[in-house]
Amino acid sequence: MKILISFFFIITMVYSSDATIEVIKKVDSLPYIAVEDSSIDYNDRFKMKFFKSVVSDLTVISLFNVDRHYRYVEYDADEVVYENKDMNYVLRYKLSEYNNALNIEVKIISNKEVVFSKNYKINDKSMYMFLSHTIAYDINEFMGKPSVEWMKRKVIFSRVTGPQKSEIVIADYTLSYQHVAVKGGFNLFPKWANKNQTAFYYSSLDDVKPTLKHVDIRTAKSKVIKSSDGMMICSDVSEDGSKLLLTMAPAGQPDVYLYDVKSRVAKKVTRYSGIDVGAQFMDDDTIVFVSDRMGYPNIFSKRFDSTGVEQMVYYGKSNAACSTHGQYIVYKSRETSNSFSGNTFNLHLISTETDFIRRLTAVGVNEFPRFSKDGDAIIFIKNYMSQSSIGIIRLNHNKNYLFPLKYGKVQSMDW
Amino acid sequence: MKSIILSSAVVALLVLTGCSSKEASLSDAEKAAQEQAAQKETVVVNAVDQEIVDSNTMTSVEKEFTAVYFDFDKFSINADNKSKIGTSANIVNTSAKSFSVKLEGNCDEWGSDEYNFALGLKRANAVKKSLVANGVDESRITMVSYGESNPICSDKTQACWSKNRRVDFKLLP
Repeated sequence: MKILISFFFIITMVYSSDATIEVIKKVDSLPYIAVEDSSIDYNDRFKMKFFKSVVSDLTVISLFNVDRHYRYVEYDADEVVYENKDMNYVLRYKLSEYNNALNIEVKIISNKEVVFSKNYKINDKSMYMFLSHTIAYDINEFMGKPSVEWMKRKVIFSRVTGPQKSEIVIADYTLSYQHVAVKGGFNLFPKWANKNQTAFYYSSLDDVKPTLKHVDIRTAKSKVIKSSDGMMICSDVSEDGSKLLLTMAPAGQPDVYLYDVKSRVAKKVTRYSGIDVGAQFMDDDTIVFVSDRMGYPNIFSKRFDSTGVEQMVYYGKSNAACSTHGQYIVYKSRETSNSFSGNTFNLHLISTETDFIRRLTAVGVNEFPRFSKDGDAIIFIKNYMSQSSIGIIRLNHNKNYLFPLKYGKVQSMDW
Repeated sequence: MKSIILSSAVVALLVLTGCSSKEASLSDAEKAAQEQAAQKETVVVNAVDQEIVDSNTMTSVEKEFTAVYFDFDKFSINADNKSKIGTSANIVNTSAKSFSVKLEGNCDEWGSDEYNFALGLKRANAVKKSLVANGVDESRITMVSYGESNPICSDKTQACWSKNRRVDFKLLP
């Protein structure tokens, strides 16, 4: 009996932290939370936008069953509104405008006690969603759950606006706030240059040769990093920002290169007569990349000190993009092979330490998967039924969330 | 109570309004031409005339080329394309002999990843090899891939996707 119990215990310990295993949680087991607005300034439209943003963020942190009804109450009222009396938690906030800033008072009431309170302020009202994300982040911290730091990070993406015309845009994680950082010309494949997101790289196709450029967003200064005939794309940036994985094709042959930012030296990593692209750092010694060396695009890994490559994915007819976090690889797989009608692309998650495959999406064209820095979430773009959305997958909560995109087709994205 | 000011975190989103280098150089050239025109009007007019003649020639020769089309997810050149590229090689070595050739690889919308850019480049490279085999000097050819970002047709139809899987010929002075 002891052996049997020990066996189950070990199995539980082994699989409890494996993100490729789906976590099935009963929705009813989560506590209920309602949101009450006490705002005195701003018009009804803005109040409703902020309310919806708070409700969305509370939903995404996946700790509550969130009541979506809008309720208004005085901020200092002793009781929660009648309809919310059975809620485990009530989040009450008050928006007000003074000193040319948007100010917010927030408190959480549970069992008639104020268990959390905090004030926030932002100078530009149009950036209200960053406040909403920060409030959700703080509530997650208050509940003592693993950090959702990624909620506060910015997304950078390129958007094609016409033939050979594009913009590079910086946004919040729901893409509801959008700031055009580079406009005019044909600039693609933006990539954050460091963890603090104070600079980024992008590929410019306006010059004679495709050129990689670097922009410091604190000084708005741009500099040329390197050019290559055919292709020049920054596929990944190392954790400390000192090394880049580039796809270059100086002789018309796309291969992966390791570029040292300090010495400005690029070293060829792959040598194959077909296509090697999209490399990602797995650790200091290993990369994963996309190659057509089996006759179709698939995911392979390679150590810098070895010439051999290892096939990482054995499922899917065409696996043309991936993102890594530690032992995990999320990849985009074409599920159909139609040249005559629409195709389905789904995202799958594998671990290099197990044989499990977890399908993360079910329908539509799902692309541009990117892990959050802590691996807790995956961001992606979903195109389905003529609607494009940005998706967030909470791996440990087995939940996907979609935010419809306002306009424009995303060409490439980094988080 | 603790107060948080977020503005510093997002004020860093500075506007960087760039222009394409083509536009910038054209603008510089115009300025230079205007400055020179004030000093030596006749010389400038002749130079501009010459540029216009060259540009017109280049544009008209460019129209003689026909795009090379590819099968879904492929970069190999079929028999039809071989004869088409043979004709293009002849143009490159005759009426376009004073220009360089830029091969622009393009793809349909099924995948806007790096892989699609590489596929566009491999298509351009296949055309380049075929041109060289037909007697074109390799040093006159440059290549670029636009992936799916340069469509000539945006309908969701098979015919439209076929038109976008192509290599275009462009001439450079």
